[in-house]
Amino acid sequence: MRSATISDSWRALAALQMRVAASLILRETRATFGTSHLGYLWAIITPVASIVLLTVIFTYAARHPPFGTSLALFFATGIIMLQLVLRLAESLMTAVEANRALLAYPPIKRTDVLFARAILIVLTYLVIAGVIYGGLIALGMATPPAHLEDVLFAFVAASLLGTGMGLINAMLLNRWDSWRRIAPILTKPLFFISGVFFVPDYLPPQIIEWLQWNPVLHAIEWTREGYYPGYESQVLDKTFLLLTSLILVFIGLAAERLTRRNGGL
Amino acid sequence: MIELHAVSKAYFAKGIRKQVFDGLTFTFPANRNVALLGPNGAGKSTLLRLISGAESPDTGRIVRRASLSWPLGFSGGFNGSMTGIENIRFVARTYGADSDEVVDHVAEFSELGTSLRLPVKTYSTGMRSRLAFSMSLAINFDYYLIDEILGVGDASFRKKSNVALREKLPHSRLIMASHSMSHVRELCDCGLLLSPDGIWFFDNVEDLINAYARLH
Repeated sequence: MRSATISDSWRALAALQMRVAASLILRETRATFGTSHLGYLWAIITPVASIVLLTVIFTYAARHPPFGTSLALFFATGIIMLQLVLRLAESLMTAVEANRALLAYPPIKRTDVLFARAILIVLTYLVIAGVIYGGLIALGMATPPAHLEDVLFAFVAASLLGTGMGLINAMLLNRWDSWRRIAPILTKPLFFISGVFFVPDYLPPQIIEWLQWNPVLHAIEWTREGYYPGYESQVLDKTFLLLTSLILVFIGLAAERLTRRNGGL
Repeated sequence: MIELHAVSKAYFAKGIRKQVFDGLTFTFPANRNVALLGPNGAGKSTLLRLISGAESPDTGRIVRRASLSWPLGFSGGFNGSMTGIENIRFVARTYGADSDEVVDHVAEFSELGTSLRLPVKTYSTGMRSRLAFSMSLAINFDYYLIDEILGVGDASFRKKSNVALREKLPHSRLIMASHSMSHVRELCDCGLLLSPDGIWFFDNVEDLINAYARLH
């Protein structure tokens, strides 16, 4: 009898969690994309356009692709991962603040708001990656990925990394309002040190020694190893990337838990 | 059933600590409508937020075996950039109610008409309260937690909301903070008196009101 009630209450809790997640994701979708169908398109078009523009600029600035035959593909495999991480880090930072009014409803907690936004961003970038790779393949500028599963694993790892950074940003913003101005300054160098437009293995060992502490670089290396049939990265350390991501997520969640009671809401 | 076990809650603001509750243990009597009376700052709203689960106690435990509304206050939990209808759908989905049904219900009861299609930030305080009140009535709860929201709007809306609330009473209970003694007499049959000196339960509304009057 008793176990039945416990499993019932677990089921009720799971159902509540699903409802809350679904309604928040829908609400986030509306808030980000507007209510029109064109709005959904814009959410995809804007990042795709910025990636295409950067690719075009980069294609003209450099003559030879650092690896493979397609400059556009090389750049895309880097910039998509970087943008995914940065978007999560930046957008989760303000998620609690933007949804503060909705926290008046007892079933909705800060973590629900954060996870709803993370899920939406990850799904959006999955579509963006599909559109860009699909476009490059259609234009004859790329072949399909050699090991799709590695590209996907790298995507999951980058999602975890961005979520960890975003959770920590949200908690820091909750404490110091100036964090909203500091965080983007700290992440700006990532564009130059993550291997978006170079192959880390071709750099001198003294530089690699420093760059290898940047988890985004590993996410990009993993993606390229998955995408290109002959890309073998010496610097790639999947364990380091996954461990760093999980530790950041853990720190973010622990900070959320510890600040929940006093003015945390 | 709602039980509070040794519940403590304090707030910090600008380095000043304010202990609102210190080891409060209380079981809300079943099948009674409970009024919360007390001067401003005595903790009525805090108590409602704690009961609802919108806030957690610092220490202690709150046991709820019933469905509870969110605390119905003036400001309400509205996202200003969402329209009235979007806010209604959001709440209906969160509580697992049929969105279309709830929207129809609220549209009819609130008399907000086409304003429901505008962002809530364009609403007046009165309109917000009407929306909040209509929304909670459209969803069925075992307990309605009411934070001073009665007496919003014009006379006809007030009358209508009182009638609607009384129609809920056969199957639902109220826990209600109010400064209006007529509402307390009309809707409640017992209550808690919250004061800076302590918290007392009164089994009878008239005794509660007399004790509250003596506080001043």
